[in-house]
Amino acid sequence: MTAIIEAHDVHKSFGKNEVLKGLNLAVNEGEVVVMIGPSGSGKSTFLRSLNKLEEINSGQIIIDGHNISEPKINIDKVREKVGMVFQHFNLFPHLTVMENMVLAPVQLGKMTKSEAIDKAKILLKRVGLLEKADVKPDTLSGGQKQRVAIARALAMNPEIMLFDEPTSALDPEMVGDVLDVMKELAKEGMTMIVVTHEMGFAKQVADRVVFFADGHIKEEGKPVEIFENPQDERTREFLNKVLNA
Amino acid sequence: MRKWLMSLIALASLAIGVLISSPAVHAATPNYTITTDTTFPPFEFQTDKGDYRGIDMDMLKEISKRENFTYKLKPMSFNAGVQAVQAGQVDGIVAGMSITDERKKMFDFGTPYYKSGIVMATTDKSKIKGLSDLKGKTVAAKTGSAGADYAREISKKYGFKITYFNDSNTMYNDVAIGNTVAAFEDQPVMAYAIKQGTKLKIVTDPAKGNWYGFGVKKGANTELLKKFNTGYAAIVKDGTYDKIVNRYLGKGSYNYKKNAADKVEKQTTIWSLFNENKSALFTGLVKTLELTLVGIVLAGIWGILLGILGVMPSKFARGLSTTIIYIFRGLPMLVLAFFIYIGIPNLTGQKIPAFTAGVITLILNEGAYIGAFVSGGFKSVDSGQLEAARSLGLPYGKAMRKVVMPQGIRLMIPSFINQFIITLKDTSILSAIGIIELTQTGTLIIARNLQGFRVWLMIAALYLIVITLLTWLSNWVEKRIK
Repeated sequence: MTAIIEAHDVHKSFGKNEVLKGLNLAVNEGEVVVMIGPSGSGKSTFLRSLNKLEEINSGQIIIDGHNISEPKINIDKVREKVGMVFQHFNLFPHLTVMENMVLAPVQLGKMTKSEAIDKAKILLKRVGLLEKADVKPDTLSGGQKQRVAIARALAMNPEIMLFDEPTSALDPEMVGDVLDVMKELAKEGMTMIVVTHEMGFAKQVADRVVFFADGHIKEEGKPVEIFENPQDERTREFLNKVLNA
Repeated sequence: MRKWLMSLIALASLAIGVLISSPAVHAATPNYTITTDTTFPPFEFQTDKGDYRGIDMDMLKEISKRENFTYKLKPMSFNAGVQAVQAGQVDGIVAGMSITDERKKMFDFGTPYYKSGIVMATTDKSKIKGLSDLKGKTVAAKTGSAGADYAREISKKYGFKITYFNDSNTMYNDVAIGNTVAAFEDQPVMAYAIKQGTKLKIVTDPAKGNWYGFGVKKGANTELLKKFNTGYAAIVKDGTYDKIVNRYLGKGSYNYKKNAADKVEKQTTIWSLFNENKSALFTGLVKTLELTLVGIVLAGIWGILLGILGVMPSKFARGLSTTIIYIFRGLPMLVLAFFIYIGIPNLTGQKIPAFTAGVITLILNEGAYIGAFVSGGFKSVDSGQLEAARSLGLPYGKAMRKVVMPQGIRLMIPSFINQFIITLKDTSILSAIGIIELTQTGTLIIARNLQGFRVWLMIAALYLIVITLLTWLSNWVEKRIK
């Protein structure tokens, strides 16, 4: 197994506030990594730095052999391989669901328009929303929006999928549908990094759970190890709060 | 201490006494409000000390002394003055005002006091030697002046066009920089201006000899008119009047001649007034719409460019956009119009046609406002939209064009409609540089027939009708886009 994502000694500050204090992480192809931890611990910032939505101050991030910390890197090429799903969906409200799906593949010359539409239909069917192809996103529920957003990211045939709290903005009854789509994706062998507060999903789907606190990775391991037998004091404290809430 | 208090009380009671008795003082010496042109030398002009001098001013002062009345001088542009008399805001006007048959319908004039004539003036180097050289050229005249009437009368015969100005200085400047080839002006005014250093020369003999008169609103202020006439007769008799004229023109050539009898005033309704001026109003309206459409389209392009510049990643581009918007939003549009139409040609010697200057003014001024709301609109699109587009691998430019801008433009549509209406109204400011659009058309009609209320009512109604139609059209477009 080779690491498809490597992070070495990553530092990131917003002004005087250092949010990433020297992180190291390697993720293998096909691995599902779930990042948990209290808010403000740096997990979202770290995730966003993996496709350079945040510029890191020092260290190295290597995605599929490309060092994206280098200033000269063509980040757009790397981003084509790294799909991202946001907490607030960020569907394009002026375009229909189908137009959202085909915009990037067609604009970037990955596919012809008809190829992109065929592919989009397959993906929409997979997330159970084929009948919504021609509506505007604002007519969809939160859960439907997020499933479209996942399908939109998949339309680029990515090798890696990043999920930034994909269910945090959803009503509880919508969460299940979105998680089901993600589980299926994991089963198919997609490399995934997921920031989430859904501990059930972490237990069930993750190959590895990474616990963040104060800009550091405090602890990582198999879900059983982390949830049944946490070593770090902060991890115990955190799990106590979220599991017994 | 007591002495001090006593004197204070004495002073106070004196002041009260003056206050109480002052109405009586007023009754004894009537006080009038009289208007004059702001600048019409040698008849009236402001000295560097701020007071008004000139033939009219000295004459009025002398007459008021002899006839025992006081007056408050209210200088304003000739057109405004004419309208102020008709509106009853002032009692009389002394402004080197030619007595014409048309004006006699609305004014009562005192004894005609000065005989003038219209001359044509060109620059020193001009090839224009007389009226016959004017074919195909454009000349300058002052709105509502006898010179303008004369020019209009002979314009067909000699085949020239006329641009109108609201004051003499602007008109002389326009000829000096070559926008227009000649100015039509009253002889004493032109002679005096040249004596004062204006670089023009008179090339024709005085034509259309006409008399200047002191005017009051028809049927009103008969006592003031009587006082003027008596006082005027007195200063002519003892030679004071000749002295006054000599003071400004160097030689006295005064010969008195009685006016022709007044004509009967024609009755007009607002509808007949509209019909009489239908074609002029229509032409003016078309010019206004032309300015608006050309202006808003070009200003829109320029504004969107400024707006895009304002959200570029480059600091230089953003700074440039902010600076341009700051400058042109800060300048009053009238100043900008004069700067482009008169200022720049003064510097470069390259003349700019009034319409072009007007359109450039609109582009720069309205464009700055558009630029501000365009970049604001782009900035108000949720930052997650750009992030999502970029995370799909779209480069910055494509992400902006395909995702951010279409959403921003939707947010801007109400502002665009608003700016469209503002632009339409702002075109009226461009009347100042002689573009005969709707407002200037109104000014010209009033200068001839003096029917201020009715004409401005018509003009206002026309603007409202057009703006209503535009608003409907814009709302329809807005709905279609949504």
